[in-house]
Amino acid sequence: MVLVIVEQSGEQSANRLSPATNELIAFAQRAGRDFGMPVAALVLGASTSHIVDELKTRKIDRLLNVDNPALAEYNPDGYVHAVQSVVAAIKPFLVATAHSVRGIDFMPRLSASLRQPFVAGCVEYEKIGDRLVLTRQIFNGKMNMKVEPRSAPPYFVTLSPGAFPGDGVELGAGAAIETMPVDFSGITNRRRILARSEVPKGQVDLSSASVIVSGGRGLKQKENFSLIFDLAKALNGAVGASRPVVDSEWLPREYQIGSSGQTVSPKLYFAVGISGAIQHLVGMQGARCIVAINKDPEAPIFKVAHYGIADDLFKVVPALTKLINDLKMG
Amino acid sequence: MKIICCIRPVPDPASRLVINESKTWIKDQDLSFVASESDNYALEEALRLKEKHGGEVVALSMGRESDAKLLRAALAMGADRAIHLVDQKFKGADEFATAEALAKAIEKDGGADAVLAGVQSDDLGSGATGVMIAGFLGWAHATIVIAVEASPESHKLTVKRELEAGLTETAEMSTPAVLTIQYGINQPRYASLKGIMAAKKKDFTVWTAADLGLETAGVGAAMVSVKEIHIPERTRKVEMISGTPEEAVTTLVEKLRKDAKVL
Repeated sequence: MVLVIVEQSGEQSANRLSPATNELIAFAQRAGRDFGMPVAALVLGASTSHIVDELKTRKIDRLLNVDNPALAEYNPDGYVHAVQSVVAAIKPFLVATAHSVRGIDFMPRLSASLRQPFVAGCVEYEKIGDRLVLTRQIFNGKMNMKVEPRSAPPYFVTLSPGAFPGDGVELGAGAAIETMPVDFSGITNRRRILARSEVPKGQVDLSSASVIVSGGRGLKQKENFSLIFDLAKALNGAVGASRPVVDSEWLPREYQIGSSGQTVSPKLYFAVGISGAIQHLVGMQGARCIVAINKDPEAPIFKVAHYGIADDLFKVVPALTKLINDLKMG
Repeated sequence: MKIICCIRPVPDPASRLVINESKTWIKDQDLSFVASESDNYALEEALRLKEKHGGEVVALSMGRESDAKLLRAALAMGADRAIHLVDQKFKGADEFATAEALAKAIEKDGGADAVLAGVQSDDLGSGATGVMIAGFLGWAHATIVIAVEASPESHKLTVKRELEAGLTETAEMSTPAVLTIQYGINQPRYASLKGIMAAKKKDFTVWTAADLGLETAGVGAAMVSVKEIHIPERTRKVEMISGTPEEAVTTLVEKLRKDAKVL
């Protein structure tokens, strides 16, 4: 059995499926085929029926649900206990979830508690004979490492965003929903949420944006960021920024993409005037299509880009915005 | 409060990394090692908590004998004691084996009110070790912490965590707890000359795997074996588009529509 723990958006347990869920299911469908195993999806939360209903449209063999008030808000104690109970009941080969704020908060704990292998941030896997070999990134993506679990299953893994594209997910007739009985008595949530501060109103959730236009130091000054906003508007996209932009207070912190900001995997990503420091690359290299516009043809951003224009952004960006707007009119 | 701060030695970011002959790790014998960047913020946060609430900060690290200098630097910054786990057996540890050894050392040192570690290391970079330490110790934990307040008398910590999409969360937790500290949450101090002098007189403990009661450690205790490391192939070869800005953007839009099908 290949079991995926469904990723929900935001930190609230019971709101909506995150884009990472399609990636997880696409991964599980492929691994299930390769290893000749059924695919199971696990939904954890309270009042999860709408999420379960949405999942029914995907090709999944078993749809498992732990619906309990103890999981009304995400907490590692509740999650670890629930997953441990489900794993004991269904004995999966592989347990996967997203390499997200939530995934990295509970999966390593399961590995330590159960003394089972954990591989973080997988970008690829291979089946060699009957064995599973997983590829993960090390040294901020400068190198890849292939590892093989040393013990018997289950193996716990988190998947790097964008590594297993979700548009490959197979749809299918709904699997029957199995409610998993989990006893939460004696489980205390030791990390109780007091408050959550929301993004300022009107702010786009970059993690779900399909087009992102990001600007960097190459824009030279704050006022020039209007070029980025204009292009994003033309493309119905969101605006992002590299760290230097945020450190210089041209834009607030929530725009930052990269190692101390957000990780995004949009369909289309424009990097404008961004040199491509590794701290930025780790946050956006999962994008399906990356366009880099930078004066310096040697800038590292061109190493991860699909299309590049090595020219003056102050000429290229307005021309691009105008073209997109003209096409919309036509 | 007693706070233990974990420090991971990693190759100096300026060094050129070369894969070793067996392709299982980098050639690290001659590289200079530094503390993994986010561990510096963890240490600074630990020192600030001690300054506010009293107690002690213990710097804990596993690595080569030559990396003792990282612990000396932590002592010079203001840590009170250092514990260095040094043993040939620790070589080749994955996150699991590292966390197990660190957890054993924390237990052997009599536990703590809090263990602080960087959010992720600059080498393996998984962000898992801190959470695993909590798992081994059976303590509460919080990841990606951007602010900490402690109430030692009521055994509580209030932490602010960074979530996705610009959200943050404030949570209350019981001690003992493990916190993984996000980059950039404070301004790590420099060691003063006085601090450097004082560091020489501070308690510096070295423990081996046997001292921790570990029969297996490092590669022997790892949950995964490394098959190979390699430089990822640039499967995406960038397609550079030339011409005047007008020509270039016209070609680009056509390619985004017809080839990449993203517009």
